[in-house]
Amino acid sequence: MSVLSDQGAAQPISILLVEDDAPTLWRLQDALAKAGFHVTSAATLAEARASLAQAGPKVLLTDLQLPDGHGNELIRETRLRYPDTEIMVISILGDEESVISAITVGATGYLLKDAFPTDIAATVRELVAGHSPISASIARFIVRRTQSTAEPPPGPPLNTAKLTPREIDILWGIAKGFSYAEIAGHLGLSRQTVPGHIKNIYRKLEVHTRGEAVFEALQQGLIRL
Amino acid sequence: MSDAAPTTASTGRRRWPKRATLLVQYLLLQPFIIVLCLVVLRIPPPEPSPRYLVTDFSLREHGVEQPVTLPHFTASRYTMNDPPLYSGRFTWPATWAGGEPQGAWSVLLPRFTNGVEVAINGVVILDSRRNPAANRPDRNAPEIAVIPASLLREGANDLTIRLFVWGPIRGFLDRLYVGPDAELRPSYDMRTLLFVTLPVVFSAWQAILAVILGIMWVMRRHEPAYGVLAAAMALGVAQAFLQTPLEDSAFSRLNAMLISAAPLESALVLTFALLFFGWKWPRYGWLIFAPGLVVAAAGLVGDATLSRDAFLLVGAPTVGLCLIALTVVAGHSVWRRQDAASVMLGCALTIVLTCWALDLLSVLQLVPSRRILLARLSYSAMLVAIGAALTWRFARALNQVDGFAASMVTLVREAEDKLKASFVREEERARAAALARERTRLMRDLHDGLGGQLVSIVALSERGNAGAGIGDAARAALKDLRLVIDSMDDIGGDLMLALGSWRERVTAQLRPHDIALVWRAVGPQGLPVHPELRPWHVIQIIRLLDEAVTNAVKHAGARRITVSIETSVDTQGIARGRITIEDDGKGFELATNGEAAAGQHAARGLRNMRSRAARCGAELELTSDAGGTRVRLTLPRRFPDSDAAAG
Repeated sequence: MSVLSDQGAAQPISILLVEDDAPTLWRLQDALAKAGFHVTSAATLAEARASLAQAGPKVLLTDLQLPDGHGNELIRETRLRYPDTEIMVISILGDEESVISAITVGATGYLLKDAFPTDIAATVRELVAGHSPISASIARFIVRRTQSTAEPPPGPPLNTAKLTPREIDILWGIAKGFSYAEIAGHLGLSRQTVPGHIKNIYRKLEVHTRGEAVFEALQQGLIRL
Repeated sequence: MSDAAPTTASTGRRRWPKRATLLVQYLLLQPFIIVLCLVVLRIPPPEPSPRYLVTDFSLREHGVEQPVTLPHFTASRYTMNDPPLYSGRFTWPATWAGGEPQGAWSVLLPRFTNGVEVAINGVVILDSRRNPAANRPDRNAPEIAVIPASLLREGANDLTIRLFVWGPIRGFLDRLYVGPDAELRPSYDMRTLLFVTLPVVFSAWQAILAVILGIMWVMRRHEPAYGVLAAAMALGVAQAFLQTPLEDSAFSRLNAMLISAAPLESALVLTFALLFFGWKWPRYGWLIFAPGLVVAAAGLVGDATLSRDAFLLVGAPTVGLCLIALTVVAGHSVWRRQDAASVMLGCALTIVLTCWALDLLSVLQLVPSRRILLARLSYSAMLVAIGAALTWRFARALNQVDGFAASMVTLVREAEDKLKASFVREEERARAAALARERTRLMRDLHDGLGGQLVSIVALSERGNAGAGIGDAARAALKDLRLVIDSMDDIGGDLMLALGSWRERVTAQLRPHDIALVWRAVGPQGLPVHPELRPWHVIQIIRLLDEAVTNAVKHAGARRITVSIETSVDTQGIARGRITIEDDGKGFELATNGEAAAGQHAARGLRNMRSRAARCGAELELTSDAGGTRVRLTLPRRFPDSDAAAG
């Protein structure tokens, strides 16, 4: 923590911001720059790739609907090339349709486009500190996927087979609006361990390669049987 | 049968010792049965008092006269002309010792083959060839004739008997009796009952079973065993009731067919046994019918002599062969099936086989005998027993079908109930799936269109100072959009899942106003689960809660808002959820009618809250004073199905 702060003081945290809607881009850029981050912006997938080719940022914030492609491609590439980069999706509604698909390729959270500037900066800062935020609606989507159903539910595919019962309990707590402290209290955990569990959840939901994706889909299909 | 075979094989290996024990028991039982048969058959058939016995005769045959003692065998012959003539004498006392006059006298011939003509003092009183039953050598039919009183002379009387013999078996005349009719007739009646009436009864029974089994086969073509047995029985009946013609006539061909029936019949019974016990039909199995057909052909083509020879040479051994094959089949069946039916059939066959062997020995004169032939009788009895057992089995199967039908009715009813329940579940699930799909579609549409535009408005409004109000409005629109989408999600009746998202939105809403949100949820469960909870209930409740928070922010000037979620048990013992929102603002005055006196806007807000609570069947409780406002929403025991206040 202290090392991070020192680094932050010595060298501003670099952020690659990918957003095609100009007013939104300006707004987010302003909010982040004012908070002391070093922001590089890109409006298309091509620009973002060009920027990534030079150096890996500490944080990647990307919209999903881009003029020349889908943000998930960028997330997957970044995840492969720069495993240490924290990735967040910029979402309008924070809906599972967009967020879950981004999580499966390596994102660890989302930012609402209309969030207040202070919230934007705080969220990114927490992300860098190792706290991957997870919203109640996303947690709800994941835990409802862990419940067995006869046919695959609508929405993006998601493999929850690797989640432990404890992790699922934590997700239930988040879905029901409990704070980390309350969840830790209910489950008999230390409050500090909850963010670590959430980080693990993100990692377990990630599908690493195309082959693995097929394999996991198969495995899940077999489990469902 | 074939698919049950592996299990039979596997259990069979395990039960080997038990099977072997049963087979040994069965095999030991058979000699016992044979001995029992021999003992029973040694009991002589009923005979009158030996007082009336006439045994000393003079036989004239081929012009040669010699004294003979009955019983007597003569050579077989093929012509009716010049039959062997037995001449004897008996004494008729006109009165008994007491002086009473004699009653009627009779001549009783207990057993003869094949026909007799009896004459008293030169006058013929009996010709057995007119009696069809007596013409059957296998029937052991006795004959009795009352001697007309006018023919009798006091003292010695002549008795002559012509014995008609038609081959191939040798002629036979048993000891005969002459005496008072009253003394002789009971024995005759008893013999007639045993050797004439009983076979007819069995044959009649066989006829009925032939019809029953025939119908059964017609209705169940996949069980040819019944058809084969029906054919065997029909043949047996035909053989029993058709008459034996003596001279060459229009019926002599029929006669030949009749004689051939026994080997054919035994072949049919063997076929039945093979089918019934599930044997694979042997490749040359049809050969078993060949002897019967040869005999039939001999009867059709040749004369009576040829057909009778064919019968004795081919037919009788065939019957024996079939009987032996049948015992083998039954024995194997005892080994494989270990059931009572096989054991009983095997024992019955042993009896028939014993009778057949004795008959053969008797006909061939290899053992001393009185030529009482019983194979046919025992065979008929066995067939009747088989038929009766099958009918019994059929009746039992019908009972099982009844029981099965009754249990099927129950099963079908249960299945129907299950199906109904699962149909309701399926409908419910399909409804939820349709809703989820619709939600996904709506979300994409909003995401691509309205949502993006609202975000742009927010961004643009922040660039200049003038647009703050517009930005707030756009933000509120986005917030509501998220609420609408959120509430459409299937939360499985757990309102807590909706409140979780709401908490995030409220936190975000309160942060710029610097108002603290205190969240108190009692227990990890929080609120009771309501399976009947629908998206429209959720949206009403969340909007109601939003309204309460907005009032606290906009009108009360609160610094802290507390949301408490708890479950309490009401007077009827049903768990009810309760959500309370308290603020530390300045409160508002409630008019006597419960409406807020302050501001038109706040009043409308309160009215909205009440209406929303009412539509969900929830109870809303409002208290407000200078220390703050408290909104308490008590959830219903059961959410209403339809929106009564809508429209």
